[in-house]
Amino acid sequence: MPSHRLAMTVGLLAAAPLVLTACGDSGQKAGPADATDVTIQITDDGCAPDPASAAAGPITFTVKNVDSGRVTEAEVMKDGKIIGEKENLTPGLSGTFTLRLDAGDYTVMCPNAKTDRSPFTVTGRAAAGAADAGLTDAVRAYQDYLSEQSASLTAATTTFATAVRTGDLEKARSLYARTRTYYERIEPVAETFGDLDPMIDARVNDVADTAEWTGFHRIEKALWQDGDLAGMGTYADKLLTDVTDLERRIGTLQLAPEQIANGAVGLMDEVAKSKITGEEDRYSHTDLWDFAANVAGAREIVDVLSPTLRERDTALLTRIDSQLADVMASLASYQTKDGYQDYSAVTDASRRTMTQQVNALAESLSRVAPIVAGA
Amino acid sequence: MALGTADDDTHRSPMSARRGGPLSRRGFLGGVGAAGAGIGVAAAVAATHAEAHGTGSSDVAARIDFHGEHQAGIGTASQDRLAFAAFDLTTKDAAAVRQLLHDWTAAAAAMTAGALVPGSSHDPVAPPADTGEAVGLPPSGLTVTVGFGPTLFDDRFGLASRRPAALNELPPLPGDELAEQRSGGDIAIQACSNDPQVAFHVIRNLARIASGTAVMRWSQLGFGRTSSTSDAQSTPRNLFGFKDGTRNIHGEERSAMDEHVWVSGGDQPWMEGGTYLVARRIRMLIESWDRDFLADQQEIFGRFKTSGAPLTGHDEFEDPDYAATSPDGRPVIADTSHIRLASPENNGGLRILRRGFSYTDGMDPTGLLDAGLFFICFTRDPQTFVTLQRRLGAHDALNEYIKHTGSGLWACPSGLLDSGGTWADHLFA
Repeated sequence: MPSHRLAMTVGLLAAAPLVLTACGDSGQKAGPADATDVTIQITDDGCAPDPASAAAGPITFTVKNVDSGRVTEAEVMKDGKIIGEKENLTPGLSGTFTLRLDAGDYTVMCPNAKTDRSPFTVTGRAAAGAADAGLTDAVRAYQDYLSEQSASLTAATTTFATAVRTGDLEKARSLYARTRTYYERIEPVAETFGDLDPMIDARVNDVADTAEWTGFHRIEKALWQDGDLAGMGTYADKLLTDVTDLERRIGTLQLAPEQIANGAVGLMDEVAKSKITGEEDRYSHTDLWDFAANVAGAREIVDVLSPTLRERDTALLTRIDSQLADVMASLASYQTKDGYQDYSAVTDASRRTMTQQVNALAESLSRVAPIVAGA
Repeated sequence: MALGTADDDTHRSPMSARRGGPLSRRGFLGGVGAAGAGIGVAAAVAATHAEAHGTGSSDVAARIDFHGEHQAGIGTASQDRLAFAAFDLTTKDAAAVRQLLHDWTAAAAAMTAGALVPGSSHDPVAPPADTGEAVGLPPSGLTVTVGFGPTLFDDRFGLASRRPAALNELPPLPGDELAEQRSGGDIAIQACSNDPQVAFHVIRNLARIASGTAVMRWSQLGFGRTSSTSDAQSTPRNLFGFKDGTRNIHGEERSAMDEHVWVSGGDQPWMEGGTYLVARRIRMLIESWDRDFLADQQEIFGRFKTSGAPLTGHDEFEDPDYAATSPDGRPVIADTSHIRLASPENNGGLRILRRGFSYTDGMDPTGLLDAGLFFICFTRDPQTFVTLQRRLGAHDALNEYIKHTGSGLWACPSGLLDSGGTWADHLFA
């Protein structure tokens, strides 16, 4: 079923274009490595930034309260709006936040101080792209992956559709799981095109009227349950039309890093929600193929974002890598010479273990978006 | 404000009525918890009890102090609802266990105070740290109690030397029909509250925080208390329709608590002032029970169903007369009756603090109601429970109508005195 996860983040992007990263009060630096550092020491007297001006681009503000009991926060403002702040800094605490700022006049404000406003100036222009080269590369690499996978999906579906159209039951069965693999690797992206996913990938219980049911699973039922491909030619043609349309639309897609990150979460949610339950491929029991494809898609996302993650949160990347390895090791135990075992071979105890592994990985992946957001 | 999201849990929002402290779910929390802070532990504990008792256990405004000499949720007047979970550690790394206990302590303390789970809950591109279903709900008498199971002290984390000698797996007991997936677990969390959503919120958030380090092994909701653990509470009825536990230990009974519940002089300093929690999921065969005639039901318990009085008396709180015989020479309170077999008089003075909850999990596969008692007791020595259950399991007339389907034993450490400590200190300090 369509996911709104990616679609929603598009709107959020527009709402918060300036914010790069945030971190807690630990004082640990979480911003981009090449950000300019500005210190704001809050005292009873005020909160003058040091230095008072900086070049456009990412700027990491470190707010420190040495001993003021009266002033416990500082805010960076533009045109009367707060664009970044650190609150509740009692004496001894400090905190940081990173903003990508364009040239202009800003104000640092600290309520309750004798002088509660100090000017802060940003000069010049941000070096184009330099600050976030890692993320720009990540987005490009992922869009390339989407193009490859969707092109492969069209090619594989062409062969599969021919087998279905010509009534070659055995061949169509042997191609089914492999063909879906290309779709399952990029499923959350396909789901952003609200109309395509239901036409390509709906299960029978997803549609209001079974007469309107089309796509892979409609053909899966004919292949395994009915054992008869009569009348399936139309469905094969439509499936090919829809995946071709998907390939075309993916070519026009512009994704933000946090959308890509959330796509990995979406892939793992897919596994937990419908693959591990065995609902996805209920006639063919090829769920493990889809499971593996979802994991491969998530691994690609982790790969493209890993240079940025390594820079901004090594611990998280290490955790994700190790959790991904756990999931892949579980999957590998079901691998056969040319694919995966029938899903009924997986015991309830193993399903539970894999669910736990997938959920742990998904929980960690859900921390990636705020780290790569907004750049 | 949409632009200014680069902060942590201190962001201004409709949810943060107060500043300079943890975000409260509601704005009215003020001096309640602070009352005992400067006065000392004993005073704080007393204040906690007074609050809970004075306002009655159903009071949702009640705020129980997380800190104190003993963990809350044991001597505390029993709340109405339970959410219980047993966790298994999946990590092999002792440092990760330590971190988990640290994070759990912070979250438990915050939720007990009616505040959000620490962390950012307002960053639009990040999942909120707190899952949110308790926003706007008062503390609701919440307590969060932790216990460590025997398996935690195996060879995985180097904790063998910290295992209390009394902490062993419970032996097989008569009448056991235990399901592996409802028994045991490295760590147990008992969340009790007068609002079921507040209790559930604890288990959900602690499970989430544990992601990657521990997994939930099993969990159980309890919808109604079956025990009175305070002078201010009346005895509730269990799902058999009887008042059981009329003679339970009450939290106010200092000497009884010291004698029967709190560990002292044990082999592990971290258990000083702690206790052992035994949980038993006791399925009641409701349909069969409901077909039994009243006199037999009463004989099984040894009490009158309506009044709760022992069969030898007229008032619920009258002491049972176990020597009394009927004209035909048989004991009025039958030898196989529940109250006789469980009574301190007939068990060498052994007593336990019972703090159980009625549960239902819908139906079993055959269509029968899956309901019963999630029995919880606290005792300074797990052997006391074993002794009592050996007797009950072998002779209790009630056995015809119950099955023990789940079981667990955990060591509940002493309380944390102040916000500087964490549950990890008990094991790793």
